[in-house]
Amino acid sequence: MASVVLSEAEKLYIVHGIQEDLRVDGRGCEDYRCAEVETDVVSNTSGSARVKLGHTDILVGVKAEMGTPKLEKPDEGYLEFFVDCSANATPEFEGRGGEELGTEIANTFYRVFSSESSIDLKSLCINPREHCWVLYVDVLLLECGGNLFDAISIAVKAALFNTRIPKVRVLEDEEGSKEIELSDDPYDCIRLNVDDVPCIVTLSKIGYRHVVDATLQEEACSLASLLISVTSKGALTSMKKVGKGSLDPESIFEMMETGRRVGKSLHIALQKILDEEESLGTSRQKVGFLG
Amino acid sequence: MLTSRTFLKRTRAGAVVKVVREHYLREDIPCGAAACRLCPPRPAGAGRGLEAQPSGAASSLCPGPHYLLPDTNLLLHQIDILEDPVIKNVIVLQTVLQEVRNRSAPVYKRIRDVIQNPEKHFYSFTNEHHRETYIQQEQGESSNDRNDRAIRVAVKWYSEHLKKIEDEEKIQVIFLTNDRTNKEKALEEGITAYTCEEYIKSLIANPDLVDRLACVSDEGKEIESGKIIFPEHIPLSKLQQGIKSGVYLQGTYRASRDNYLEATVWVHGDAEENKEIIIQGLKHLNRAVHEDIVAVELLAKDEWVALSSVILQDDGQNEDDIENEEEKENILKTSVNKDMLRPTGKVVGIIKRNWRPFCGMLSKSQIKEARRHLFTPADRRIPRIRIETRQADTLEGQRIIVAIDGWPRNSRYPNGHFVKNLGSAGDKETETEVLLLEHDVPHQPFSQGVLSFLPKMPWSITEQVGVHIADVSHFIRPGNALDEESAKRGTTVYLCEKRIDMVPELLSSNLCSLRSNVDRLAFSCIWEMNHKAEILKTRFTKSIINSKASLTYAEAQMRIDSTTMNDDITTSLRGLNKLAKILKKKRIDNGALTLSSPEVRFHMDSETHDPIDLQTKELKETNSMVEEFMLLANVSVAQKIYEEFPEFALLRKHPAPPPSNYDILVKAAKSKNLEIKTDSAKALAESLDKAESPEFPYLNTLLRILTTRCMMQAVYFCSGMDNDFHHYGLASPIYTHFTSPIRRYADIIVHRLLAVAIGADSTYPELTDKHKLADMCKNLNYRHKMAQYAQRASVAFHTQLFFKSKGIVNEDAYILFVRKNAVVVLIPKYGLEGTVFFEEKGKPTPRLDYNNEVPSLTVEDTTLHVFDKVKVNIMLDASNIQHQKIRMVLVEPKIVENDVPANLSTEISSKNEPEKKKKKLQK
Repeated sequence: MASVVLSEAEKLYIVHGIQEDLRVDGRGCEDYRCAEVETDVVSNTSGSARVKLGHTDILVGVKAEMGTPKLEKPDEGYLEFFVDCSANATPEFEGRGGEELGTEIANTFYRVFSSESSIDLKSLCINPREHCWVLYVDVLLLECGGNLFDAISIAVKAALFNTRIPKVRVLEDEEGSKEIELSDDPYDCIRLNVDDVPCIVTLSKIGYRHVVDATLQEEACSLASLLISVTSKGALTSMKKVGKGSLDPESIFEMMETGRRVGKSLHIALQKILDEEESLGTSRQKVGFLG
Repeated sequence: MLTSRTFLKRTRAGAVVKVVREHYLREDIPCGAAACRLCPPRPAGAGRGLEAQPSGAASSLCPGPHYLLPDTNLLLHQIDILEDPVIKNVIVLQTVLQEVRNRSAPVYKRIRDVIQNPEKHFYSFTNEHHRETYIQQEQGESSNDRNDRAIRVAVKWYSEHLKKIEDEEKIQVIFLTNDRTNKEKALEEGITAYTCEEYIKSLIANPDLVDRLACVSDEGKEIESGKIIFPEHIPLSKLQQGIKSGVYLQGTYRASRDNYLEATVWVHGDAEENKEIIIQGLKHLNRAVHEDIVAVELLAKDEWVALSSVILQDDGQNEDDIENEEEKENILKTSVNKDMLRPTGKVVGIIKRNWRPFCGMLSKSQIKEARRHLFTPADRRIPRIRIETRQADTLEGQRIIVAIDGWPRNSRYPNGHFVKNLGSAGDKETETEVLLLEHDVPHQPFSQGVLSFLPKMPWSITEQVGVHIADVSHFIRPGNALDEESAKRGTTVYLCEKRIDMVPELLSSNLCSLRSNVDRLAFSCIWEMNHKAEILKTRFTKSIINSKASLTYAEAQMRIDSTTMNDDITTSLRGLNKLAKILKKKRIDNGALTLSSPEVRFHMDSETHDPIDLQTKELKETNSMVEEFMLLANVSVAQKIYEEFPEFALLRKHPAPPPSNYDILVKAAKSKNLEIKTDSAKALAESLDKAESPEFPYLNTLLRILTTRCMMQAVYFCSGMDNDFHHYGLASPIYTHFTSPIRRYADIIVHRLLAVAIGADSTYPELTDKHKLADMCKNLNYRHKMAQYAQRASVAFHTQLFFKSKGIVNEDAYILFVRKNAVVVLIPKYGLEGTVFFEEKGKPTPRLDYNNEVPSLTVEDTTLHVFDKVKVNIMLDASNIQHQKIRMVLVEPKIVENDVPANLSTEISSKNEPEKKKKKLQK
């Protein structure tokens, strides 16, 4: 993962600050950095979003394609994640350097979305055992400024919210042969319900306390962090510990509590901004990468 | 300004793809009005645009100056009206143009031509890229609705824009639409909108235009009146599924020439069985028109029928005569042999209409002042068409063109509208035009673009040396307008007194004509031969020829025959003749067929160009001599190009006919106690040679004529797309056309291939693309077929003219075919063929007894056999100017109890019977 090298003195300065609930950039321990969200930034996808969280810059595109349902779940569609770590983010990603991180992030998201309740996969089914929608979620890391997981999860949720899947009808004739017909109105499409799509909150243990939304410098001071996925209702859907250090059970419970609290307010803020953007309709001036 | 258009589409593999196109909007698109100072000037050469003072027909609805703006459907259906010179100053929107292009390529081409015509002042406005007229598809709006709205927005913009022009007289924009809801919406938005009918009827000065309105009936209206005659057509999507699953068969509908209640459908694809399906009866034919692509459902085996030998013509004047039809249908159903039954089906839907404008004449309604009349096309395979016209009196007796608009379920005949008047029937110019149009022969004068590729005159040779076939490919370079035009024409069409050239005259009769004593470019095929006419060496080369003498066949023949002449030219002619005779003998020994067909020539009056005498063509020895060497050159070239380009040599083949084709010939010969063997070409040729009867010398010729009817058509093909190359008639394993590049396009391609093969010219991509070559062969075969038909039609027409002046004559004739209710006779003197009917309206039907086995027909007490010699009385029947025909009256044998000439009349249809006329064996 992208990292910075800090001297012992710098680390000490950060750790001591956090002890006093004072972070280098002036935030409190449970404060997120300022985030920018814009959806519908890539026109040839079914849904897309770009999220900037401090210096972390993420672009997510969702493409809906027709495929065959998985054998064990014949009446459901499915999601595929792919994370591309651009060498723009850090020279370490050059060549195949970003692959390991990409796979790790993708696997984390498979786990986060493995919960039945996160997204209604049944609505992606066109006709059981034969056709379903496969949502390819492609994540592009443009810049790494710490707290990748949280930023990506926000971007994924925003992109899924923005996703419009064309409506298709299955026509069946007397002989039982099926024909799929595509609606000719581009507005005629299905939207996904993202109410229960979780967001990831990463809590980094620094000294005796933990912080959310750690910057790169703070990440360098943390030996262990806890990654939890929280739905808007505050339910935890998955949890993962990263980093080489250890955490005692006491602090894990504490961190879970914080994560749930912060996660809920994060969902509320995100949903509010998405609804606001949606209400502007097509007249909205797109910012894209010019902003 | 930039916006983007997004749409979804399905790929062939079944995936759904979202496509995003960038779409730029501009502000500098001119409105096209000449008086407009607000718009930037139009670029030079962009046509003349709309007039400042719109001229054109005065309308009582809108007396002021106005521009017209039609919507898509109007343009598609009423293109005939828009093409009229009276209609000027029309704005054609890009939206409309694009929709038209997607829906009908021919109409698109026509509207493009109109827009290009500076006299018409049509202006195509790029509304989709204009900032103020571009709209986006809204939620819940279908793309059709969006386009309708885009058109209305453009009309609105125009009317507001034109108001800003500072001119004393404001120009209005009139929106023309036949769509009721669209018109209502337009009126709500304050747009002046009329239906096409309203507007055209308001053009008081031009009442004739009303006739040309296409009658497009609303779906709803259809059901109210009249009873439903036809079953409903199944929608296309269902048809496609049905075809996929094999319930329906897709094929080309071919109406019968002789019987309007019968048709066959040629099923597409390679299936061996059910290749040809019989359709019988009005309901089963279900509104299909000749050449349509239709879907057919097979009937149960016990309902299968055989092709009836009845000749029926649709002559009912009353269109609601359905009972009568059923009666006629019963005539078709006669008991026949079990093994004669063929697959029979019914038309369930139309996949693609192949309607074109049809030539023909008006059958005026008997009701006075009636506006609805029936139109009888010249081609008998096309049903009669109902049209509405107020000028029936003027159109009567004229050759006119009519287009079909639709065929509702409750109508006995299709509805159509009048397009163009060609001139009075029987007039030579008109009739020639008719037969050219009917046979789809492109006969417009060569355009400037084509002529620009001709060399500048005076022309001289640059540097080259030679002999033989004019090198046309030197002048016609691949891909230019001249090449494209000649490729489209495919062949020169010879009519009795007119020639429709494939290439401009400068080439055909000067630069590519090997005149004597001038240098001409040539492509030569040179052999070294021994005295047994065996080829020792073949060489091909480009050359320059300076012909020593140009002789006609007759002149050459005279030189060979005269004993006094012994100059160089004459002796070499004799040598050639000797070799040619050996070549011919070899060919015949191989099983080549010599078949005769009566070739008719007219002696024309030099002043009036009317035919004054008929003559059957006489063949001289020199004809045969030239032919032998031409054949040899063609075979040699075919071998060479096939050897060099096994995948894309353009060759010609003549498939062997299926044995069943010979049934009629064998039966006919048997009745004269002769045996015809048909197992091989050689056996056939030999048995034809032996088939002679001392008391009936003409029998052999008749048998050969019958044999030609059994043959298949010879066709061009690409060697990479086929594996049977055999030429049956010439008994050659490989053959092509090389010797007449001036009049056949196939020869030009062969020349190019040969030139590449010997390294004399460079190749180009299309030449080595076997699919392109196969497509080209398809067009060439079509053009050749049509040219042949046109030629025969022309002969038939001139025969008519001839008999018009000749009056009534008695001639000997032979019976060629015997049908159920008629016999077909041939008059050798004129090479003329006709059908004798034994039934006539208003007369008691004579007792007819048809024997399929012999075959023979017994009328009252007289039995008629194939090859019987009869005497007929020929005259021109002009009583019905609608269809002038030659009537023949049987004089001998006399049929008892019947008054000749009233009952036994033979008729020859003069124009519409190309197929039944001699099918000449193609080389």
